[in-house]
Amino acid sequence: MKLIYYVFALLAGIALSIEGAIYGELGNSIGKLESSFYNFFAGTIIIGLIMLFFGKGSLAYTFKAPKWTLLGGLLGSIYLTILIISIPLVGVGLAMISVIIGQMIASMVIEHKGWLGSRRFAINKDKLIASGLMIAALFLIF
Amino acid sequence: MNILLLSATLLGGVLLSAQSSINGVFGQKAGALESTFLTFFTGMLFLALAVLFFGQGDVLLLLDAPRWQLSAVLFGVSYLFLTILAVPKIGVTAASIATVVGQLSAGMVIDHFGAFGGVEVAFDLKRFIGLLLMLAALFFIYRGNKRRVEATDADSIAS
Repeated sequence: MKLIYYVFALLAGIALSIEGAIYGELGNSIGKLESSFYNFFAGTIIIGLIMLFFGKGSLAYTFKAPKWTLLGGLLGSIYLTILIISIPLVGVGLAMISVIIGQMIASMVIEHKGWLGSRRFAINKDKLIASGLMIAALFLIF
Repeated sequence: MNILLLSATLLGGVLLSAQSSINGVFGQKAGALESTFLTFFTGMLFLALAVLFFGQGDVLLLLDAPRWQLSAVLFGVSYLFLTILAVPKIGVTAASIATVVGQLSAGMVIDHFGAFGGVEVAFDLKRFIGLLLMLAALFFIYRGNKRRVEATDADSIAS
């Protein structure tokens, strides 16, 4: 049953790639920070409408939530801006490799330590094998 | 200069993972749609300030940009929403690796056709083997996670 969530994450990755490819182009014509701003501006409108009609959760929780859980937007906007700046200079391939390596190391450390509210999950053999395979795959692809 | 840029993109990856974890926590209490909305809304506020003070482009050029380029936001929204659904269920490592596999597979397809105005890079044997290795990596992460779930179940029965 959990398999469906792996499919979700795969689809998320596909979306991320298409997004990056298109914003690279947009960034060249209207500016890097401006492209990043456009993404969050238009995204707010789209998801705002969807949430109004289909949201079952509680946005009011925002004011009760621990403040650090509100920082996702800040981190996301820094990420996107860094990417839009560096892709034209170092190339999509190299940029993706460093993003992915940063992502893999960070997520394993986060889970290993149980940081940022994630459930603790020690680094194990399966995870190390998986990272090794990913690094080999990166070498072959680029 | 390049080393600096590459360290910055590495940091970008770290931030992306931290964001996934944080949003997963917030989303479980407030709802996935609400968490996606909050991320976009606060991101917009921060970037509005950044554009005001440091912007060198011209936001108004958006009105002249080709419409298909503006569709990128749909993918941005889908990415965030799907991640917020997945992370609490399978953990941030599994979600990150599955995301990466999707990212690279799509990247190879985009490259092969030179879609979206990018450079054309043909899909070859090396890339095919790379794809197989990534699928194997995903399998190991899945297996590692399943074992953990079984172990937790055994713990709760024992206690």
